[in-house]
Amino acid sequence: MTEAAIEVKGLSFGYGQTPVLEEVSVAFPANRFSVLLGRNGSGKSTLFNIVAGLQKYKKGSVKLMGKERSNMSFSDCARVLGFLPQFHKSVFPFQVKDVVLTGRAAFSVFSPGKSDREKVVQAIEELGISHLADRPYTELSGGEQQLVMIARVLVQHPRIILLDEPTNHLDVYYQTYVLEKLKKLTENNLTVIAIMHDPNMAFLYADQCYFMKNRTVVMPSIEPDNHADTFLEYVYDVRFTTVMVNNKLMVVPKV
Amino acid sequence: MRKFLTAFLIYGLPLPLLLYSLTVGPSQGLHFADYWDWGRAALAGNVDESSTKLFMINNIIENVRLPRVLLTFIIGAGLASSGGALQGIFRNPLVDPYVLGISSGSAFGAALAIAFPFININLAAFALGIVSVILTYSFAFSNKSASIVAVILSGMIVSGIFTASLTVVQYISDPYKLQAIVQWTMGNLHHASWDKLNTAALPVGAGIGGMCLMRWRLNLLALGEEEAKAVGVNPTADKAILVCLATLTTSTSVAAAGVISMYGLFIPHLTRMLVGPDNRRAMPANIFFGGSFLVIIDNFSRSLMEFEIPIGIFTMLLGAPFFLFLMKKSKINWV
Repeated sequence: MTEAAIEVKGLSFGYGQTPVLEEVSVAFPANRFSVLLGRNGSGKSTLFNIVAGLQKYKKGSVKLMGKERSNMSFSDCARVLGFLPQFHKSVFPFQVKDVVLTGRAAFSVFSPGKSDREKVVQAIEELGISHLADRPYTELSGGEQQLVMIARVLVQHPRIILLDEPTNHLDVYYQTYVLEKLKKLTENNLTVIAIMHDPNMAFLYADQCYFMKNRTVVMPSIEPDNHADTFLEYVYDVRFTTVMVNNKLMVVPKV
Repeated sequence: MRKFLTAFLIYGLPLPLLLYSLTVGPSQGLHFADYWDWGRAALAGNVDESSTKLFMINNIIENVRLPRVLLTFIIGAGLASSGGALQGIFRNPLVDPYVLGISSGSAFGAALAIAFPFININLAAFALGIVSVILTYSFAFSNKSASIVAVILSGMIVSGIFTASLTVVQYISDPYKLQAIVQWTMGNLHHASWDKLNTAALPVGAGIGGMCLMRWRLNLLALGEEEAKAVGVNPTADKAILVCLATLTTSTSVAAAGVISMYGLFIPHLTRMLVGPDNRRAMPANIFFGGSFLVIIDNFSRSLMEFEIPIGIFTMLLGAPFFLFLMKKSKINWV
C-alpha cells in the first residue's frame, strides 16, 4: 500500500440542521487515479469542497500529504492541492492563455512573471491544447473548456488534483480524452481524484473506485467478483446486469 | 498596423489632446495665432504682461482651462477605471458606478453637504458612496451568493432610495442652494478650479493607482469566486479592496464634478473592443482613453452651443445609444 495523499477520519458536516456528511473515513492513495462515485446528494461534492478548503469543517480530521487541512493557509494549500469545481463560465472573452495564467495567482500576487508564462505553455502542451492558446475561452466547446480548466489547475504544480465531475457534459471523445490525460498525470507523481457519474467509465480508467451512500463512504474499493452487482445495486438503488469486458467489470441497468 | 493605431489612440492621444483642449472655449475673438504667440511666450518663460491679449489668454488658460482640462481628465480616467474594475469584480459587463448606486449615494451625500455647509463635501460623498455599495450588495445577497440580476435590481432600489432622498434635500433647500444642487446633479465641470483639482487629485490618483496595481488580480476575480478559491486565493479581501478603491475614486469624482452618468459603463466596453478583456491591458487603456474621451466630450459640451451643455447630460445622450447598440449586437452576455 502506498502512502495516503488525502486521509479523512471521522469527518461530519452539515448545512444548518441538515447533515450532509456523517463519520466519513477514507484514504486516497498517492500517485493514483481514484474515482469517487455515488448518487446525487450523497455528499460527494461536499466532501470535495471540504478537502479543497471551500467549506470549513469542525468535526473530524482531513490530512493533505500528512498535514491537517484546517491549519493550512489558502496559499499553502494551493501548493499541495488543485481543485476543479463543477460549474465554470466566464462572462468576459478572456484568451485561453490568460485564463490558464490565473492559476498562478496564489504565487505571483500582482504581476505574473516569465516562469509563470512558461508554466502555462508547458501545461497546455501537456494537455494537447496549444492550438487554443490565443482563442477566447467563451467560444470554445465544452470539452475544450474543460481541458483549459484542467490546465489552469496544473500550472499550480500541485501534488494532488481534485476534479468535480470532469467528464460531465462531454461527448465520448472528450470523456476518453480527458480521462486518458488524467491517468497519464499520475505517472508524474500526481494524485488525481475525480467525482464521476458513469461507473463504467470509472472502472475503465480508475486505479481505485470509492462509493458514497447515505452521507458516507461505504466501501473503499471494488473487486470484479460476483458480489459486485449486489453492491452497486445498493449504492445506486438500480438493478444491474454485470458483464466482463477485457477483464474489466461493466454494468448495465436492468430494463 | 491596428496594434499601432490602438496604442496611439490610448497612449499617444492624451498629451496633444490636452494641449489642444486649452484652446477650446466660448471666448470669442481669440485665434490660433494668439495661442501660438502665448505658447511661445510661456515656453520662453516671460509672458509680456503689457500686452492685454496675451495677459488675458494667460489668465484664461492658467486659471480656467488648465485646471478644468486636468480635472476632466482625471475624472474621466477615474470613472472609466472604476467601471472596468466593478465590471470585473461583479463579473458583469452591465455594472458601473451608477448601476451599483455609488453615484446616487455620493450625489445625496454631496447634496447634503451643499445644503448644510458644515459637512465636508468629499467626506459626505465618499461615506454615502460606501453605504450605498454595502446596501446594494447586502440586499442582493441571498444564500451566500449574489446573482448578477439580484445585484442590478438591488442597485436600482438603492439608487431609487438615494435619488428620492436627494429630491427631499432639493425640496427643502433655499433657491440659491437648490440651483447649485440641480446643476451639480447634471454633472458640471465649469466650476473646475485649482482648488477642486487639488482636493480630487490625491484620492482619485490613489484609487486609480491601487486598481492599476491589482489589475491582474481582476482577471482572476472576473472568472468567479469558486475559481479563485480553487487556485488558492481568497477572493473576498481582493474584492473588498477593489470595491473600496472604486468607491473612493467614483465618490471623489462625484463630489468634484457631479453625476456623470453612463461614462463608467461604456468606456470599459470601448476599451475591451480595442485591447481585449485582459485587464492587464484594459486597465491602463481605461485610464488613458477614459481620460481623453471625457476631455473630448467636454470640449464639445463647452463649444457646441452658445451655452454650456452639462456634461452628465452629454454622456447620457452618448451612452444610451451606445448601450442600445451593444444590446442589439448582443455584445453583452446576459447571464
